[in-house]
Amino acid sequence: MMLFSRVRGLPVLTPGGADRLGTVRALTVDAASGRVTHVRVRRGWRHGETVLALGTVEAVGQDGLVARPPAGRTEAPPHRDLLGSRVLTEYGEERGTVLDAAFDPADGRIEAVLTTFGEVPADRLLGLGDHALVVRADRPHRL
Amino acid sequence: MNELMAVRSLTTLPVVTLGGDAVAHVKDTVFDASAVRITGFTLTGRTLLSGPLPQDLPWPAVHCLGHHAVMVRGREALCDVPLSVARRDALHGRLLGARVVTDAGDVVGTVLDVLVEGGTSGRVVAFRLAAHRELVHGSRHRRHRVYVPRGEALSASGRTLVIPARATAYVTDDLPGFAARAGAHRDRGRSAPP
Repeated sequence: MMLFSRVRGLPVLTPGGADRLGTVRALTVDAASGRVTHVRVRRGWRHGETVLALGTVEAVGQDGLVARPPAGRTEAPPHRDLLGSRVLTEYGEERGTVLDAAFDPADGRIEAVLTTFGEVPADRLLGLGDHALVVRADRPHRL
Repeated sequence: MNELMAVRSLTTLPVVTLGGDAVAHVKDTVFDASAVRITGFTLTGRTLLSGPLPQDLPWPAVHCLGHHAVMVRGREALCDVPLSVARRDALHGRLLGARVVTDAGDVVGTVLDVLVEGGTSGRVVAFRLAAHRELVHGSRHRRHRVYVPRGEALSASGRTLVIPARATAYVTDDLPGFAARAGAHRDRGRSAPP
């Protein structure tokens, strides 16, 4: 299990450690399926941002990521930051903001999302858009 | 779900899809001709200068009406209407500012706000009135803002609402007290012979 806040800022190396691709800026999430799909890597202000599909990442450790460099340009969905996003239930009520999220580095499955109102299991996530992270709730006024 | 919401607080609420994208903001709430329930919303764009949208949101397309957002299933919930039609609907369906008359013929006030049930119901529950002195006795230097339950026998014609005279017996000026009294009013309306 790995936390989003831990992964952010870790160095990304190529297999063998020969080359350094940059540092992790953010993780792109597909909230409907509850998975991390892409890793956004930043390599200094002149090189801009590289998008790596999670399939090209071979290992995620406490001290860095090992990933194959992308062959061409990766097609990625628009990025929404999960950390800090507003949480909204499907009943249209706000439930704080996202503090952190835990995911499985092997397959990218999100295990839980930690919000200011408590923990939300990943199977409750409905979608992450430009306004909020929408979560399923059993009934109004409950998370 | 029985959550009361004031219609004036719905203006500027974001319209959010279940995917988390905000697609518009609520501009006006449109009611049906007899003021029974919400029939839809007119919309504005999301930015400061975007102005009214040539689309509106019919009530059946609303997934849930909450305190912080109007939830819809997807972007396709909005349906295209010409701006002139949207504006006309909003004018015909507005209740705010309408005169309120009892069926005995007394003018009791004007509508300041409308309380509706949130969630998937959208039913009109009560009106908040700027009450005339016939309805609320007391100091004439005080402004009286009271809640009047909608009542079953209400009818609306143009900009005038007619409420049953017995509904004025359930007038309150605080919302929690009103919720309890409205229940009593509804129960009595059911048990009374027609």
